[in-house]
Amino acid sequence: MTYEGMRIKNILLAGIMTLFATGALAHSAMDETTPAHEAVLTEAPAEVVMNFLHDIRLTRVSMTHADHASVDLDLSAYKGMEIDFTVPMQPMGSGAYVIDWRGLGADGHAMTGSFSFVVE
Amino acid sequence: MPDIWGLAAIITKMALYLGVLTAVGSVIVALVFNTDHYRGPAIAFGVLGLAAAVLSVSLGGANLTGDASGMADPEMLGLLWGTSVGTALLCRVLGLGLLIAGLFMGRGGLLLSSVGGVIALWSFPLVSHVSTRDTALLDGALVLHLGAVAFWLGILIPLKRLAAVPADWPRAADLGHRFGIVARGVIPALVVAGVYLGYMLVGSIAALLGTGYGQAMILKVLFVVGLLALGAANKLRFIPALKAGDPHAAGHLSRSISIEWGVILTVLAVTAVLTSTLALPT
Repeated sequence: MTYEGMRIKNILLAGIMTLFATGALAHSAMDETTPAHEAVLTEAPAEVVMNFLHDIRLTRVSMTHADHASVDLDLSAYKGMEIDFTVPMQPMGSGAYVIDWRGLGADGHAMTGSFSFVVE
Repeated sequence: MPDIWGLAAIITKMALYLGVLTAVGSVIVALVFNTDHYRGPAIAFGVLGLAAAVLSVSLGGANLTGDASGMADPEMLGLLWGTSVGTALLCRVLGLGLLIAGLFMGRGGLLLSSVGGVIALWSFPLVSHVSTRDTALLDGALVLHLGAVAFWLGILIPLKRLAAVPADWPRAADLGHRFGIVARGVIPALVVAGVYLGYMLVGSIAALLGTGYGQAMILKVLFVVGLLALGAANKLRFIPALKAGDPHAAGHLSRSISIEWGVILTVLAVTAVLTSTLALPT
């Protein structure tokens, strides 16, 4: 690669690295969840509640518990744009739970996010 | 940090910006300055824009499911089609289709290509953050901003090509000089529209300094300032030197344009991240 080529590559790399170092968050429109993010519970819940700031069509919600493989939660009750979602989940006992969600905003933007809680 | 589908979407969006803006810019420059050899680059970048537009929607499907199955999932693609994403895709396919078709009709087809270019540019307010504000003035400012960026991109290929051949140096100097005259109006329009868009989207100094969106905007502005400095060096030093017959000027100009491309790609990458993964300050 020529000196000129290296210089262009370095400019590009510096820009991208700086940008990702801004600690930017994804297009997250989440208002609050139940259980709350990083909550510590004594009993595993039978459902998770997600409240968004704007209408969203949830397309996938998955739960990962401790060492178990990730499982998709049932979204069949929701087929349109909503703000509040109550999604049933299978309690798996004590340990850390991570809920990952994906959805489509009314403006066409794909959105993703996650929250976690611990059952002692 | 975005996941693999988020990263793929950002890279595709960058290719979309590069393809659409350079194709439109090549047409504008050919129309305004009567340049030749514009067809090849305009078609190549138009095809890049078309491919990126289609892939972008497909990757949107993957972003909704989190795996490759979403790229061809009729339910996910149908969901996207029903939003402004579908309308923007329609505008891009129609606009770039007209732009490319016009390129096969000789110089007279440039008008058709220009109409296609405007339609393709008009797809961006439909799906950018501007779309959430619902004001025609903001939409117009974005199209003006993008049109000015396209004009800038459009001059780089013919100028670098002419600067590469000693026999064409007088034509390169003439083209650069004429571009500099038109740029006196276009560049201020680009900056004013950009500042207006930034102010409307970020809204305050606190949000500019304290949010990821604002910080990315600052980064983008810094690179644009660098671009303006390179443009000024071309206009004030290298083009006049080329016109005066300085044998080293063409090399300086060519290197300056190469660096401009590097900075432009960075600005497009920052913009792709800005519009893909960062939330507007609330």
